[in-house]
Amino acid sequence: MKEKITIGPFHPELEESVYFKLVADENRTVTHVEIINGFIHRGMESLVTQKNFMQNLILTERVCSLCSNNHPFAYALAVEKISGVKVPPRAEALRVIADEVKRVASDLFNLAMLTHLAHHHELMKDTMDAREHMQDLKEIIWGNRMDMSANQLTGVKYDLNEEKIKLILETIALVEPKVNALQDRYENDESIRAKTIGVGVLPYEDALELGVTGPVARGSGINNDVRVVAPYSLYGELKPKVTLRDGCDVHSRAMARFGDIVEAIRMIKEVVANLPEGDTYVEKRPHIPAGEAVVRVEAPRGELIYYLKTDGSQKPVRMKWKVPTFTNWEALKVMILGDKVDNVTMILNSIDPCISCTER
Amino acid sequence: MKIEEFNNAIKSKISSGYELKEDKDSYGNASAWIILSNKRDSESVAKAVKAYKGRCIVATAYKNIDGTHTVIYHFDIEGLIINLQLETEDQSIFSITPILPSANWAEREIREMYGVEPIGHPDKDRLFLDYSLAKGVLNEYISLSKMQLGVSETDVLWENVNKEVKQ
Repeated sequence: MKEKITIGPFHPELEESVYFKLVADENRTVTHVEIINGFIHRGMESLVTQKNFMQNLILTERVCSLCSNNHPFAYALAVEKISGVKVPPRAEALRVIADEVKRVASDLFNLAMLTHLAHHHELMKDTMDAREHMQDLKEIIWGNRMDMSANQLTGVKYDLNEEKIKLILETIALVEPKVNALQDRYENDESIRAKTIGVGVLPYEDALELGVTGPVARGSGINNDVRVVAPYSLYGELKPKVTLRDGCDVHSRAMARFGDIVEAIRMIKEVVANLPEGDTYVEKRPHIPAGEAVVRVEAPRGELIYYLKTDGSQKPVRMKWKVPTFTNWEALKVMILGDKVDNVTMILNSIDPCISCTER
Repeated sequence: MKIEEFNNAIKSKISSGYELKEDKDSYGNASAWIILSNKRDSESVAKAVKAYKGRCIVATAYKNIDGTHTVIYHFDIEGLIINLQLETEDQSIFSITPILPSANWAEREIREMYGVEPIGHPDKDRLFLDYSLAKGVLNEYISLSKMQLGVSETDVLWENVNKEVKQ
């Protein structure tokens, strides 16, 4: 007997609005999947062409909250490329610190959601507890728990003194053992393994064909981390070590995220210890001539690309961005088909969807 | 992946000529711009990208002052970005999704936002916008309030959901 099941557009297990129409057989195995999007479409790509370059810095930070630091980062890189501005070394270092702090907090949040959906609330509580230290750090240094407002055109808006560096190192010293212990628990916990291994499988060939990025790609054994394949900022020197897993399932994607967190902690410590002296931005306001630029950064969810076209005026002619979820989304159909209905929201969570970003 | 190597791979495949530009960012990452004179050749370039196990990252479209549209595909092969630019006067392009499935959403979005039809695209459904909104919304200015009220003044969405539930 066929059964029609709908999840969404609003549902307690969905972080954002999306609408699943599923057909399941008598074993509650999904035989057909249709996903309807567009509930958070705000026409932001049209809006950015009506704002000037400074205003757009604020707007891009508000595309979404979880990767809010990557949008202005990539946007600033695009403007700087067209203007021919090279930001000071200290600004590069500060950009990396902000980005990696954000990555730790974002990935831990996703992992906490995974345990919530797997009904392992003790582990969820401990994961959120570790993340809370990063949230407190963001609040103290950047003044906000989500939108850090770290980037500006030609540099960064914040600076670190000895007291703040000490605070970062103290926080990392608290978080690091917790992350290591959590990594071990996620890897070996019986109930987590039972619920996530072999669930939501995205084979290597499909992952390659669909062009998935970030931890979704890494969980299927593909390394297209922008920080490695096309290094920007300080990543050429930092050489992030990428964790590849070949399980292609929800568990592999979670463990790839742990690899990212561990590397992020290593890089924060390294950059803070070798913080270059000098300016944090180029004082002269940049002249933005006519031109076009394509830039990429690695967001916590994967590759974020910005296309910017200017005509010498104060506003962009066209600005387009593509977030990781935009391409990872189609992979959901591969992952969900043939899996159990009860696993659908957990599989959705495993791509760490950012629907506000995707629909813009 | 070197730009020269890719250029050699597509040279004989493109029938109507193209312009190749190279670009480098301040960190030393190279990218290529291929500007086609005939939009039909996009399929040949997509096949070459596929042969190198590359992917379509996304595609950008915009409307020019003379009413024509420019479409730029952004491809990635082993970290090298290849931007493929083409012009269309009749609001249509030849879909590369059958060759590179990673271009699926990008082409659907172009159809929806600019009314540029990717001919041969396997998926006819809307991507983000409701059917009550016309195709090509980014070609004209629609205020957010009109867009939102246009949806909420009617019961179209609710009726659709209700119909599905009753079935």
